[in-house]
Amino acid sequence: MNLRRLITWSALLVLAVFMAGALTAGRSPGSEGSQDWPDRESCTSILVGKDASVDGSTMTTHTCDCGVCDWTWRHVPAADHKPGSTRKIYRISQYKTWPPSEGLKWDLVKKDFSGLEIPEVPHTYAYHHGMFGYMNDRQVAIGESTVGCQRRMINSTPAAKLDITTLTMLAMERAATAREAIQVMGSLAEKYGYGFHDDGEMLAVADPREVWLFEIMPVGPLWTPESGKPGAVWCAQRVPDDHVSVCPNESRIGEIDLENKDFFMASSNVISLAVDMGFYDPKSGKPFNWKRAYSPQEGSAASTEGRIQRMWRFFDLVAPSQKFKPELANMDFPFSVKPDKKLSVQDVMDMTRDRSYGTPFDPVKGIRGGPFKNPNYYRQTRVIDDGRAEYTTVTQSRAGLPDMIGGIVWISFGSQDTACYMPFYAGVTALPKSFSVGDHWIFTRDSARWAFDYTDFHVQVVYSEAIKDVQAALVKYEAGIVARIPEIDKRAVELYKKKPAEAARFLTGFCVNNADTVVDAWWKLGDDLLVKYNRLYLYNTEKRNYDRRNPAPPEWWRKAVRAFDILMEPDKK
Amino acid sequence: MSKNMAPIFLLLAAVGLSTALLGLQAPKAGLPVLTTSAGQSADVTTLNIVLDEAGIGYDYCDVPTVEMAAAGVGLGGREPGPGFHVEVNSDLDRFPPGTPYKAVVFAIGASLKGMGASGLTLEAEEARLRKLIEFCKQNKIFVMAVHIGGESKRGPAGSDNERMIDAVAPFADLIVVTKDSNKDGRFTKIAQSKNIPLTEIDYALGLVDIAKQVLR
Repeated sequence: MNLRRLITWSALLVLAVFMAGALTAGRSPGSEGSQDWPDRESCTSILVGKDASVDGSTMTTHTCDCGVCDWTWRHVPAADHKPGSTRKIYRISQYKTWPPSEGLKWDLVKKDFSGLEIPEVPHTYAYHHGMFGYMNDRQVAIGESTVGCQRRMINSTPAAKLDITTLTMLAMERAATAREAIQVMGSLAEKYGYGFHDDGEMLAVADPREVWLFEIMPVGPLWTPESGKPGAVWCAQRVPDDHVSVCPNESRIGEIDLENKDFFMASSNVISLAVDMGFYDPKSGKPFNWKRAYSPQEGSAASTEGRIQRMWRFFDLVAPSQKFKPELANMDFPFSVKPDKKLSVQDVMDMTRDRSYGTPFDPVKGIRGGPFKNPNYYRQTRVIDDGRAEYTTVTQSRAGLPDMIGGIVWISFGSQDTACYMPFYAGVTALPKSFSVGDHWIFTRDSARWAFDYTDFHVQVVYSEAIKDVQAALVKYEAGIVARIPEIDKRAVELYKKKPAEAARFLTGFCVNNADTVVDAWWKLGDDLLVKYNRLYLYNTEKRNYDRRNPAPPEWWRKAVRAFDILMEPDKK
Repeated sequence: MSKNMAPIFLLLAAVGLSTALLGLQAPKAGLPVLTTSAGQSADVTTLNIVLDEAGIGYDYCDVPTVEMAAAGVGLGGREPGPGFHVEVNSDLDRFPPGTPYKAVVFAIGASLKGMGASGLTLEAEEARLRKLIEFCKQNKIFVMAVHIGGESKRGPAGSDNERMIDAVAPFADLIVVTKDSNKDGRFTKIAQSKNIPLTEIDYALGLVDIAKQVLR
């Protein structure tokens, strides 16, 4: 083949890629078989059993993928309540935000009282929460992923008093174990109705011994509390201790065995509702299957060109020896899998940063990422780190330690690849002020989240180069703290033995100081990146000179530009 | 009333038999009917499920244009696509494709998420609704406005939800709202000032009987 023909064919190939991009860019996410459920392209949650982790901790994650939601955090202290007191239930939308000038979301949600007050329990546990409750002082931990449900199940009417955010907070307040948390959420949702702002939802629910995958769905808009029927349908399956699992916006529970109470829990209507609504026919001869009845989603990583590839990617990452195929329908993946090697908390953090590099769904394959291999340019593939997280959590619940020390929620703000996880023990009694403020529309240096977005923004320009600066900072500020945790644990245990309150004070001081240090470091990192890669040159601040040849676009990029010119202006070749 | 009857009475009261037409008789509209959203909230799904429960066939489109509504049953053969939903559930034996609609039911409720998915701004949604209602009026198509989202799907004057109410309710031939949607009496005021029959219900379930009365 001569050079001219080669260039022509290359140009056609480039065009094909661009056309494919243009076509797929117009599709709604997850449009195949799920056009009613755009939320399915939202959060990812990973679950790790205690015998599947290096240090014996159970772990959950939540990439709070939204892009327009509230990112603030709050600590709720433990409280004792007088007999006869009640707990007000508010309507909390995951998406609704207010301008900072009006106040904080978690104060303003109280303006939207549902009209329901439920009997309060004598004691409520302390907990940390963002969009959801994540970790209480009994080491009960939660992660979340929206899974959707059959259209006829959606109940957006005011008859449904409880939404998923409120349920997680009630679980934090009232549960000392994962099983209790599931029972609290399930029973309250049955009694008072579930839905309104939310539909099918999955929660990873963990304590130091167990991790459960809990799914809850509304029962349709015609439900009324006077009907005497449950106002929600739910099911939970325990992840085997030596297994890991994932929820990438798809229902995960299949066939259920309610006789096996150590591994399954469900509402009384778990099968009858499916029969009543025509989602399951007992006469079919097939066993009842939760996800196929209530939240079916067809397709595979391969059949959707990577739009639902997170399921395959996770299983391939943790158990490559099992050679899961991207062609395998997502509903046919196992509920959980034993990982080839046990996972550390750093492994799990890194998985939340996964971009599917080197796979058939690599977002920087070919010219997709531009000259500096930016994975955010070409978003056909929905990867785990898709860059729009409000924040991401990794929880650890660890046996053998007092609860206030055993529980840790690691929090990072913004896109995981350019953010840094910061630990907050369950016993921490205050979060940094910078965690409680800010929103997407008004830049402020008072908000921790903006520090990470500030760095992230400056990485985008020369991603392949600037990400190395971020990774160097992560070695110091993230891996360094991960390595220090045993030392912090030891000191906290010593203090706890003397006086638990001293341990709490120590942990609070450590975590808040660390977070403040990291936030300051990320502001500086953003500043440094702005200077270092200014005007797409390389500025050396120590030598006070600059290199105009670097960062240099690679030769393949120059060829791609020439090929595109020939394609678009063939007469000028 | 015996003790045993009390819960039954309460249930019936709760699900809508306690609904009160404020001063006016329930009008009759007839079929075929088109359902749609005013503001792209999920409340239109509730509306469609209500009609399913009532055994009423309907056509549904989240963002019908005047041309589509004018095409009658079948909406001119439009197919669903990304950000665009169409369902044809009308009884095609009774109402062959092209049969003019006798009623359009609007589920009022603004959702930025929903409008975003449909590629609409608030202003574009208002403009679409204005044209569609004008078409209905010109062609004597019955307009039913439904607000079943409750207090949370309301807001201060000028807010997204209130603008959707303003775009539809004053031009309706019948307004049906849940009681907690009308706590401030806004729909009552609109109904009284425009002489529109208004029905209050406790739950969405109460809409089933009303749909049967009005549309069948």
